[in-house]
Amino acid sequence: MEISHSVKERTIAENSLVILLQGLHGHVTTVDLRDESTATGRVTNVDAFMNVRLAEVTFTDRQGTVSHLDEFFVTGRNVRYVHIPDQVDIRATIERQLQAIHRIRYFGGRDKGRREFPRAKHK
Amino acid sequence: GGAMSFLKRFLPPADGVRHQQPDTEVLLAGRSLGAGTLYIAESRLSWLENSGVGFSLEYPTISLHAVSRDLSAYPWEHLYIMVNGKFEEETKEGPVAEGEDKEDSDDDVEPIAEFRFVPSDKSALEAMFSAMCECQALHPDPDDDDSDNDYEGEEYDVEAHELEQGDIPTFYTYEEGLSHLTAEGQATLERLEGMLAQSVSSQYNMAGVRTEDSIREFEDGMEVDIAPVVAGQFEDAEVDH
Repeated sequence: MEISHSVKERTIAENSLVILLQGLHGHVTTVDLRDESTATGRVTNVDAFMNVRLAEVTFTDRQGTVSHLDEFFVTGRNVRYVHIPDQVDIRATIERQLQAIHRIRYFGGRDKGRREFPRAKHK
Repeated sequence: GGAMSFLKRFLPPADGVRHQQPDTEVLLAGRSLGAGTLYIAESRLSWLENSGVGFSLEYPTISLHAVSRDLSAYPWEHLYIMVNGKFEEETKEGPVAEGEDKEDSDDDVEPIAEFRFVPSDKSALEAMFSAMCECQALHPDPDDDDSDNDYEGEEYDVEAHELEQGDIPTFYTYEEGLSHLTAEGQATLERLEGMLAQSVSSQYNMAGVRTEDSIREFEDGMEVDIAPVVAGQFEDAEVDH
């Protein structure tokens, strides 16, 4: 459930479904790759560009050959599909990630009080 | 070994080297190219044999990388890298060393090349893997038209806001503003409007004043049930709004 330190990455995540994938940290997931190979392993990181890092992976290449890899990283460009595990509550995961982003945005780092919304000019 | 025409002589990268691993053998499609130093730099991945020749790989061409420690599959722990594209050493047929995967020779499938970097120091594999991840993240896909990455300050940047204290965002009309809100923002807006609706009636009862303007403002898209007002009810009261 790590939130990126980058303002740009947080913005990207908040406005796309990557935010759902970022909520899958720790879950065992299958990623289908563009070339039709698949990788099943525990999600350790997903960034705003949908680069996916998995641990303890069973990799099946496009010819069907199976191999076991300790650590695995695939670029977002080559991800076709990420299977969401059945036990994951999609809506709750997204909300939790959004809350984490907003905590950082509004309260993270400094002690100064923060307004939640920009002040509006009144007519 | 035989002539590897994609190998050339060049200097090791000077800047942005996240990890450097000497005494690392590299194999392409099962054939060893020798031992040398692997440079995982921010700009590109390079390997230089001790003789000074080597090759580089550009991160956008690398589709995945992994650490393999399964000795039953491959006799040495190594960093595996899959690259989109053909390298001249690949052959379409012929026996493959050690029973590992052969290159895909289908014409209608994107060609790939498989590199295996075998460091003499196995404990370095974690660091090599992580350095690769960091450098890959520096090269996001420029052709990604799937997501709109063109954000013009939609994020409320708190630091920037505090520095530009005079820069107050303009006031949106209801329809304009609504379209700028994320789903979460809209939910928050509804909640606040609900709270406002409850306080509006008491506020205007207290003041005993309802102007045409205020009625219009609060009726925009909102069901507001304002109780009937007794004019001048609290005329003498001091009211803080």
